[in-house]
Amino acid sequence: MIIRQIAKTILLSTIILLSASYSNKATAQEGKTIFNTYCAACHKMDKDLTGPALMGVEERWGNDREKLVAWVKNSANLIAAGDKHATDIFNKWNKLPMAPFETVLKDAEINAVLDYIKDWKPEVPIVDNNANQTSSDKNSLLLGIITLALALAALILLFVKRSLKKLSNEALDVTPVKAIPVWKNKSYIALAAILLFVVGGYFTTTSAIELGRNKGYEPIQPIFYSHKVHAGVNQINCLYCHGGAEKGKHANIPSVNVCMNCHKSITEYSGEQLYNIDGEKVDGTAEIKKLHEYAGFDINNANAWNPNDAKSIEWVQIHSLPDHVYFNHSQHVVVGKVECQTCHGEINKMDEVKQFTDLSMGWCVNCHRETKVQFKENGFYSIYEKYHNELKNGKLDSTKGITVEKIGGTECQKCHY
Amino acid sequence: MKKLSFIVCFAITIIVVSCSSSIKRSPNNAYMPDMAYSRAYETYADHSNLQKEGINYTNTPVAGTIARGEEFPFPYTHDAIGDTTNYSASRAAKNPFDSLSAADFKEVERLYLVNCGICHGKDLDGNGPLWKDGSGPYPAAPKNLMTLHMPDGQMFYSITYGKGQMGSYASQLNRKERWQVITYIKEKQKEQAAN
Repeated sequence: MIIRQIAKTILLSTIILLSASYSNKATAQEGKTIFNTYCAACHKMDKDLTGPALMGVEERWGNDREKLVAWVKNSANLIAAGDKHATDIFNKWNKLPMAPFETVLKDAEINAVLDYIKDWKPEVPIVDNNANQTSSDKNSLLLGIITLALALAALILLFVKRSLKKLSNEALDVTPVKAIPVWKNKSYIALAAILLFVVGGYFTTTSAIELGRNKGYEPIQPIFYSHKVHAGVNQINCLYCHGGAEKGKHANIPSVNVCMNCHKSITEYSGEQLYNIDGEKVDGTAEIKKLHEYAGFDINNANAWNPNDAKSIEWVQIHSLPDHVYFNHSQHVVVGKVECQTCHGEINKMDEVKQFTDLSMGWCVNCHRETKVQFKENGFYSIYEKYHNELKNGKLDSTKGITVEKIGGTECQKCHY
Repeated sequence: MKKLSFIVCFAITIIVVSCSSSIKRSPNNAYMPDMAYSRAYETYADHSNLQKEGINYTNTPVAGTIARGEEFPFPYTHDAIGDTTNYSASRAAKNPFDSLSAADFKEVERLYLVNCGICHGKDLDGNGPLWKDGSGPYPAAPKNLMTLHMPDGQMFYSITYGKGQMGSYASQLNRKERWQVITYIKEKQKEQAAN
């Protein structure tokens, strides 16, 4: 009987214990969810944001959980009560009050969050010792050595051949005929002249055509800004920064405050290692620091940042049309519905922006000849009733569509006036 | 000897061709540079010396200017740091757009996706590509706009001047667009409540 009772107690207590530990786990998980929903907008564990970093917050409050809960519920009460630590924090953070949570979160939930904060540990970055990029270096070194060895062998063979010939000449007692030197041989001179004319002519013509054209131009910018990271990896729309492309002539270069919309918070680069076009490593965090310098932004006093302190970043212009050409971005982007990538290439895959097309007149005109006008749901072209009717009654082949040329897209004064 | 000189010439050509880099760091020369490069001041040109040359120029419109078709100015100015007077007062501001037409809704949705969706998510759930459940590069969790119940005026204040980690969007969206984005958010909330 007694044994049975003992067994019963043991069983019951294990169940209670198990369930308790399970529910504990649940609250820790819950703590993370609550943290992400309510706290993460202003707090991060290891970094000051709008509010202070929360790692070790309990120690800072002298392990006084009750007081900390009271602060979260309503910090103003604690400050009004004259608590020293509370007042200090309030003053340190430019008197920016923390939003009260007494109506939003229950005590148990606040405690769950505090438990989550207590148990939180920074992730240790995994250091990969077997760096891959050295293998390509080794390969090119090996290739270089092989090339050198082969060249040396060729040279040796050449000398061997020469001395063998000399020996055979001596053995046969033949005096070699003295050859006419190359520079006096008339056929060689003629050949050289023709070659020079053809090759020189080719290079002169191509470089004359290339005058003022800059296909492939990729200047060094004041900050290593990677479009691949922003528009590619992080999927930021082109128009987020270059909104002017749909509003007017210029696709604007974003002002520093637009950069700071994100980089007020994102102060470190944590993505894949960046390389410039020369293959040198680029430190993303250092590049963000450069931006902060232009912005006059102090990481340690983020809330006091004033956008008016920013200096403009003098980016180097890449795509440039001659002064006598008129080009309007909104006409192409909004009315023509042309994708940015059509003219600028796959910007979202470029670390450093490179001019994709030569922006020559031939290139412009060719596109105007081939591109079909987007009449559908396009108020701008509603005046082209004649074409509309001709398309309708089959006079014009609707599969071919109407090109930009047909509506005057290759008239001189469209772009030159 | 003849062959040797040929080989040397050939080798030099190969070296010259292979060493000339394909990376173009400087622009090409222009034919008639005075026609290619503007004599007039172009956008983004340095105009800090205009005053010295006796040219009066201001790159911001005169205070109080309202563009054609633009909404009236927001009557509340940005609070000083640590002050919340105008932020609280902005609750009273009224949104001029009660609802959006179907065409406007589509256009404003596009504006939302370009400017706001990157953080607040395409579903307005505060989980955009920059946050990605905390794995994205953005360190602060964006607000879940579906559960955000804030007066329109206060939302307008936050979008105009920035709030917390969010910056000001006054340079990206004009007043009309900002009000319309707020209407869009409210309509999305209504849509969800109806389901």
